[in-house]
Amino acid sequence: MAESYRRSSWKNMLFVAPYLTAFVTLLVFPLLWGMWLSLNKVDLFSGAKFVGLKNYARVLADPVFAQAVKNTALFVAVSVPSLVALGLFLALALNKTTRGSAFLRGLFFSSSILSVTIVTLIWRVVFIPGDGLLAVLFEAMGWTPIGFLSTKGWSLFSVGVATVWWCLGLPMMLFLAALQQIPADLYEAAALDNASKWRVLTRVTLPSIRSTIMMVAVIQIVMQFQLFGQAQLMTNGGPAGSSRPIVMYIYETSFVRWEIGMGAAASEILFAIILVAAMVQYWLSTRKEEA
Amino acid sequence: MKRFLLGTAAGAAMSIASAAMADTTIELQRFFGACDADYGTVTDVSAAVGECGIITALVNKFEADNPGIDVNVTTVEWPGYDQLNAQLASGAAPDVVSMHYSVISDYQSRGLLEPLDGLLAGQGIDPAAFTDAGRGGVTKDGQMFGLPFDNWTMLFHVNTNLMAQAGLMNADGTPMLPNSIDDLFAMGAKFKEATGKPYLVQILANETAAYARVLYTLLQQQNSDFFADPTAIKLNTPEAVAAVELMKRIKDEGLSTEAMDYPAAVSGFTNGEGGIAINGTWLIGSFEAQSHEDGNALSGGGYTVYPIPQFFGGRDSTYADGHGWVVPKGALEDAEKAEAIGKLFKFLADNDFQWARTGHLPAVSAVFDMPEFQGLPHRANIAEIAQTGTSLPAEVQRQFAIQDIIGEEVGSAVNGDKSVAEALSSAEARINDLLANL
Repeated sequence: MAESYRRSSWKNMLFVAPYLTAFVTLLVFPLLWGMWLSLNKVDLFSGAKFVGLKNYARVLADPVFAQAVKNTALFVAVSVPSLVALGLFLALALNKTTRGSAFLRGLFFSSSILSVTIVTLIWRVVFIPGDGLLAVLFEAMGWTPIGFLSTKGWSLFSVGVATVWWCLGLPMMLFLAALQQIPADLYEAAALDNASKWRVLTRVTLPSIRSTIMMVAVIQIVMQFQLFGQAQLMTNGGPAGSSRPIVMYIYETSFVRWEIGMGAAASEILFAIILVAAMVQYWLSTRKEEA
Repeated sequence: MKRFLLGTAAGAAMSIASAAMADTTIELQRFFGACDADYGTVTDVSAAVGECGIITALVNKFEADNPGIDVNVTTVEWPGYDQLNAQLASGAAPDVVSMHYSVISDYQSRGLLEPLDGLLAGQGIDPAAFTDAGRGGVTKDGQMFGLPFDNWTMLFHVNTNLMAQAGLMNADGTPMLPNSIDDLFAMGAKFKEATGKPYLVQILANETAAYARVLYTLLQQQNSDFFADPTAIKLNTPEAVAAVELMKRIKDEGLSTEAMDYPAAVSGFTNGEGGIAINGTWLIGSFEAQSHEDGNALSGGGYTVYPIPQFFGGRDSTYADGHGWVVPKGALEDAEKAEAIGKLFKFLADNDFQWARTGHLPAVSAVFDMPEFQGLPHRANIAEIAQTGTSLPAEVQRQFAIQDIIGEEVGSAVNGDKSVAEALSSAEARINDLLANL
């Protein structure tokens, strides 16, 4: 019998009990309860009636949900690569020990500490027609103003711009931390070999932070699939539902229509989508590494 | 140690005594906006202007008149029902909530509201004192579930300065307004030619309520009984097509401002970006006040207001709703709090004239006969809405969710994202799915 097993005791559980209690109460129980709710016809103020998979069938047959999935997938497909690329670019540009770099790092990270309400207020001032910053600019240039928040296509784009501005700080900081872990002797060796800057980037820097790039991508996929506040406050999902994300569909179904069971079913579907997307990203990254 | 124990005991005794003497607190949750910076300490209600200013001053005055009662106001973003739902579901509802008449049945039918007949009677408030529309708005199954506060509808708010510039004023100083669809487009074209601006200022972006209210109005004007069955809407009708096509034509022919959300439409009107704002009764007081200030497009008394004209031959009608105050279940269990809420309701009913200064129609009948009310500007112009204002049938549930669906789908048609027929079919299917699964 292994030594560690012989020395184990139930008393050791006491050390993990506080965390385990919080984990089970705040994560496992709501997760399982949500799954149970999704199998019931239940609204905010009434008892539950088991309906099997009927809520899932209704959600999957709802064209509004299909549109929300399409909107969210498009949003993730554009915003996540933008966040990874811009975060990496800023980290590379600011990976210096000068005062200017430190100031700019703080400046670029500062947007991340704002609440979604403030972020959307700032970007509404930029995008609103009439007195908005872009509207004034367009007018000054003699261009036809664009209804950024009220035109199909532009509304989701505008939400994306605000989101990238808001969320850029975390990827940048994670990349900076990873860049600072790369051993200096690798760069010294590259310099001795007279390697070009591009070759250093592609052969030394990027391979060294590959696991961080993967981690940032997975974190951003999980985060951006949960888009809600920006869309709710900037466009209210419009026009014609063209900027309604999945979480807003869940919110409307649960709290405006009061259909908690159907909202829970949509939540479980979102959970599965995020899980699959993150897993695919993880699998793709690790497969490359192995190859 | 002895001193410590004595000190602790004395402290505890003082806390108990002060708790016993503490004020009764009413947790009041409302929309109407936040304006504490301007009205946080104002108790002279007659000095307040606009919904937010007047309700804030009313609450301040009530607290000043009733030193033993604190009213703790929570302001929610309009209309605040999502937040209220979450509060009710978690058992943390406030004591008094502002609520549209059109949604009271949603909550009353689930037993979430207190009937108020006893509370109102205890304060000497006679149900007969309210207008039929007000009393009817809060009465369900023969009981009153709210204090009626007003009735409201959408109106034509007119910038007479711009109308004069367009040559659309009568000799008696009143604006020429359209009496038919042809009139509307002729006057709109004339206005644009003279001023270079669109005739109408509409809320066409990031909002659903305005689209729904205008659609209901245009359907009512065609005698369309689209909610003949309160559990299923009928929108695949020639009347609905005619209504939405009119709304679309207004936009397509440049008769309306575009891409304005609610705040932009309100400020757009006072900045002179169009001639007529289609907006609610609640703005009359504010627009009138601005017309007597310098530096805006309404300055020099350039403002008046009329009901939405009758564009179709069926009947003269405008969609109407109203605001009331309701008490969530359980808030009257504490006798002292119930007494305090009763006093607050009595105060609000007694001061319904002050609230009517916003532009809303009063819910208390006697206010109509007050010389002060009759002396308020423009009220004679809009007096007819007391007769022509029509709400949806009270049995129709989830009226705000329905409004969101209609607003989104009609907006899609008006802005060219969907065909009119496609938008109406989609709206009908979505609403009927909602109502079939209550």
